[in-house]
Amino acid sequence: MSMTKVEKMVEDAPHARRKIPNLNSSALDRIITFGAVVVLFIFFSFTAPNFFTIRSVLSLALQTSAVTMMGIGVTFAIITGGIDLSIGSVVALSGTIAVMVARTGVPIWLSMIIGLLVGVVAGLLNALMITKLKLPPFIATLGMMMVARGVALTITNANAWPAPEGFGDLGNGTIFGTGQKFPGIPYPVIIMVAVALIFSFFLGKTRTGRYTYAVGSNEEAARLAGIKVNQVKIIVYILSGFLAALVGVILASRMVTSQPNSAISYEMNAIAAAVIGGSSLMGGVGTVLGTVIGSFIIGILTVGLTMSGANYFMQQIVIGLVLIASVTVDQLRNRK
Amino acid sequence: MAETTPIVEMRNIKKNFAAVRALRGVDLVLHQNEVLGLVGDNAAGKSTLMKVLSGACIPDEGEIFVDGKKANISDPLSARHLGIEMVYQDLALINHLDVAANVFLGRETMSSQLGVIGVMNQRHMEEETRRLLDRLKIDISSVRLDVERLSGGQRQAVAIARTTAFNAKVIIMDEPTAALSVAAISQVLDLVRELKAQGCSIIVISHRLEDIYQVSDRIIVLRHGHKVCDCPISGDIHEFRERVVAYIVGARDDFSQAAVD
Repeated sequence: MSMTKVEKMVEDAPHARRKIPNLNSSALDRIITFGAVVVLFIFFSFTAPNFFTIRSVLSLALQTSAVTMMGIGVTFAIITGGIDLSIGSVVALSGTIAVMVARTGVPIWLSMIIGLLVGVVAGLLNALMITKLKLPPFIATLGMMMVARGVALTITNANAWPAPEGFGDLGNGTIFGTGQKFPGIPYPVIIMVAVALIFSFFLGKTRTGRYTYAVGSNEEAARLAGIKVNQVKIIVYILSGFLAALVGVILASRMVTSQPNSAISYEMNAIAAAVIGGSSLMGGVGTVLGTVIGSFIIGILTVGLTMSGANYFMQQIVIGLVLIASVTVDQLRNRK
Repeated sequence: MAETTPIVEMRNIKKNFAAVRALRGVDLVLHQNEVLGLVGDNAAGKSTLMKVLSGACIPDEGEIFVDGKKANISDPLSARHLGIEMVYQDLALINHLDVAANVFLGRETMSSQLGVIGVMNQRHMEEETRRLLDRLKIDISSVRLDVERLSGGQRQAVAIARTTAFNAKVIIMDEPTAALSVAAISQVLDLVRELKAQGCSIIVISHRLEDIYQVSDRIIVLRHGHKVCDCPISGDIHEFRERVVAYIVGARDDFSQAAVD
């Protein structure tokens, strides 16, 4: 331990970096993404004559509801710095279990609740693998993705079994309809709006919501502040599993059959929606509203391109490019 | 020092990490409303000693008294309940949350409780944070700024302010002036003086002897897990510095209490 070394340390005081304060940057982000939705709407209104009608807007909302709700769930996981790849398979598993249980004569409402519990259990298992076995979320939920899909295929023998009468009400019913003039708002759309409002409030206004950001932004600091990090992660993955199961039950109800092969790669669309909506896979960043907007951008592109006559392959190319572009813009903005 | 009950007294603290004897029986006294500088070379045991006091590390042996009463500090929470707060070297701030959220992190004020779900009273937390920053004369334009947008000095100020938001009696600062600009260092030192003026007792760990000299009343030097010097700040800066460095590097070893182990 030489004198000079100590002296050097004593003198060592690198200059702090300085940043120009930039208020409301997240608000600006949201205005930009929301603006993109409006631009897309206007664009497709010209290219596809029937695009801007109540009927097609409602059908757009209905089609988008699944990915939106899954996206909201996975947004929580992404904010903690994790990921949930199992949600697509959990959709299939919870839906098929709800149908199979209903087929045994259990009341429909109860079989649907059992379907939701399947999602909660899958989420809990994900969380325990991540918090107790210390598996990376990517691996834990990748494993769950395969297991859940496999179980769904096994219990149905890969068949689409018809559900009993009345099972389809949730997915196919509408409210506020006035016959020919206005077909009514589908239940899944109402549920989607409720889910978005509830979880937006949960993430933004509650203590657990704030801890979700804290865990993803600086896990060690969160722990030092007395936050129960594992508890937050468990809540987040249960939430993600629950919302996937909700989508699963709704989709099964819409089909009125068990669909063990449904929602394949939906998790990727949900993650894309979250990322287009401003979530960062590095953790600490993301909002429910952003994900909803991101999901609608994907939905509008899909429906709009279809109605404009572009084929499915074209849609994939466009959505992929939009995903890459949106993250690139984010990176460029953060760099300065 | 006046003969009052010390706010903190640590007696014969020992801590081993496997074969490494980090602390070999260290005594430390912190008096009421005193600023104590704690120095030593790397691995001298200063951070470990402070982790023991803040509950982040459990000693193998030794006793701690807070306000004259024997204290059982088993985790950071129990230390906090005793009014002992630590400002960590790596700041322990949440970059993606704003100033108010960071100040109240882990201790959010609730406006209502929906079952197990606590709804935060953000307005109250923002107002309290504003008041706190003003009281400590910390210059930050808005409590809604994300912490990642603050300068190094402002970040350190937030980290320190956070400990005082809940009436900490003892504040431990681990290298509060490391990696700061000259202007930011003087801000932080002003903040230490301000906290002392408001009645806090403070322990400052630092490699920067000038900073210790400027704000401290007394200095303790650790070397290889022993206390090798415990004396009031005195003399001019050059003499002080020469003396302390001699203890740090072991060139001087005339402190009577040194050989406890």
